[in-house]
Amino acid sequence: MVTAISKGLSLAHQIYADRGKRVRELSEAGKKVVGYVCLYPPVELITASGMVPFRIFGDMSEPITAADQVSTTVVCPFLRSIIDLGLKGKFNFLDGIAGAHTCDIGMTLIIAWRDSKIARPFTHFIDVPHTDQAAAVDYFEGQLNSFKRHLEEFSGNKITDDRLKAAAELYNKQRKLVRELYDLRKSDPPLLNSIENLEVMVSLFSLPVEEGNTLVEEVIREVKERSNRPAKKKTRLLVWGPVLDNTALFDLIESADANVVVDDTCVGTRAFWADVKPPYDMHSLAQRYLVDLKCPRTYRQSEPGETKRDYDKDLDSRFNYIKKAVTDWHVNGIILQSVKYCDTHGYEVPNLKHYFDTLGIPTIYIEHDYSERSLAPIKTRIEAFVETLG
Amino acid sequence: MLNEISRLFFAGIDIGSTMSKAVIVDASGVVRAYVVGPTGAEHRRRANKVMEDVMLKAGITLDEVAYIISTGYGRVSVPFADKQVTELTCHARGVSTLFPDVRTAIDIGGQDAKVLKIKNGRLTDFLTNEKCAAGTGRFLEVAADTLGLDLNEMGRISLQTETPVKINSLCTIFAQQEIISRLSEGQPLPDILAGVYIAVTTRVVKLARQLKVEPPVVFTGGVAKNVGMVKAMEIVLSMPVLVPEEPLITGALGAAILARDQAFQLVQDGLLQIKKKELTEAHIDFTEKNR
Repeated sequence: MVTAISKGLSLAHQIYADRGKRVRELSEAGKKVVGYVCLYPPVELITASGMVPFRIFGDMSEPITAADQVSTTVVCPFLRSIIDLGLKGKFNFLDGIAGAHTCDIGMTLIIAWRDSKIARPFTHFIDVPHTDQAAAVDYFEGQLNSFKRHLEEFSGNKITDDRLKAAAELYNKQRKLVRELYDLRKSDPPLLNSIENLEVMVSLFSLPVEEGNTLVEEVIREVKERSNRPAKKKTRLLVWGPVLDNTALFDLIESADANVVVDDTCVGTRAFWADVKPPYDMHSLAQRYLVDLKCPRTYRQSEPGETKRDYDKDLDSRFNYIKKAVTDWHVNGIILQSVKYCDTHGYEVPNLKHYFDTLGIPTIYIEHDYSERSLAPIKTRIEAFVETLG
Repeated sequence: MLNEISRLFFAGIDIGSTMSKAVIVDASGVVRAYVVGPTGAEHRRRANKVMEDVMLKAGITLDEVAYIISTGYGRVSVPFADKQVTELTCHARGVSTLFPDVRTAIDIGGQDAKVLKIKNGRLTDFLTNEKCAAGTGRFLEVAADTLGLDLNEMGRISLQTETPVKINSLCTIFAQQEIISRLSEGQPLPDILAGVYIAVTTRVVKLARQLKVEPPVVFTGGVAKNVGMVKAMEIVLSMPVLVPEEPLITGALGAAILARDQAFQLVQDGLLQIKKKELTEAHIDFTEKNR
């Protein structure tokens, strides 16, 4: 039974430690829970179907042992960790899984899952085109329509226009609240440290949307009022890269006399920066996920169709949203981090380095194999990077 | 306070993976003494030992040391240090103390290699090798073992040729096998040794090229003591490289100079409190996640 009623940051801390707790309760109470991988399966549709979306993460503290049955070791260790946990029965509370073609391994993960003993009654895969052009948005809308029909069939609930609109508005509210929370890190020192922030973000991916919204509201109130605020540190950093669902890296950076004040990762700003726009229909969803959500998995060009390439203009059209965050959050340096074998992010690094070199913003690239253990050797490099910013 | 500190000394201690070094400088930044010794398994005792030795050599007591900075792999196990600074910052400072115009520094130690970009005496960018001993002193030790040679002897022999053989593998173990097969093919020993140096150098220069190699280039670390390596470095980079008289101590020297600067800064800010130092051993908590 619930002993003390936790709220705000302490609740987020608890959820972070046992992410599946709330959805397991809901599942026992008869709710269907659909797990999803990556940011591209629209949570609005799962929620509008009366089911609960649950973002699937890996576990950096759990050695990968079972996944060798379904993949070799030279693929994304984050996705390997997911299938590893799945094979070990850690996601047995899920009624289904939804994936999307964000990257090739994201696709093969769904195949491996579907064909394995952990397959649940519902598996759906969404094809996501790799450009943000109008024809691609139309195609993607078709893909989302088939996801919608499949969800309706599995849940037995019709996703009406009204229900979709209501879900979109709830998630837009969550996105607005998260942006408000990030605003509290613009001050020096920030009102919230990156470890606390990540615990809140991970919680949001583990709760039904209304409960998540209440949590962020509580955290905002608490953070504004509390007296034990984060300390002022030597420097302010932005962390970029693919999924970062574990506080260990932030812990390491913050112990090197730096505050991480903002990020560009898919467990942070990337997930919450873009809203679904009116009229909140299927086209609005397609537009939000394919065009407005910024992930390096999508090909972008400053002038679509233009064959003459202007490198600097292209870079600026791709990365100026990060430049804006650097200005708004008063960032002194950028940590470009990636999990090993992430092609999608790996090819982005030299471009990003060049872009920020030109702007005079120092960057450092670090790579890890998605295990807490692999982070220790990075410590000296992060400390030295912070020293160079002095 | 300023008068007092001008009579005092400053120490830098660099606990590397293989060797420990300590340097004492005076208030003008002049080196008064340095020592170098193997690190061994006991980091914590080693720090005390090098500190005692260097003070003995400088003819000073601990009470005369105003500020100590520790650096290197084992910097956390120097409990009497006032501050810890990474070896990257310390090397940059040490190298630019000796060569004020330096733009690129390449340091090859027992188990790691690093490339530093330096401008106006400040570290601006760096890269280190990751998780692999290829391109480090360890690679040379394995080669020396395989051939039954002493490291210095190996360097001298390699200078007898202008036609190094090609060692293609960058992995230490595969390269060892390659050395053996070159030997059995009957290739002359000097050619093989020169090839080994070229292989190690190529690995490190590959790292350096990511940051653009700009002259003057300074080569430091234990491996820079080897004449064969210095020659190979000049061949692979196609430019001359500068090697300090004692290439092992640049990290400790930088730490000592930084200790001096830090102490003067603190005096200026009215913040320096010279704490009574004791050469206590580090308490190492083995449950801690520190490597």
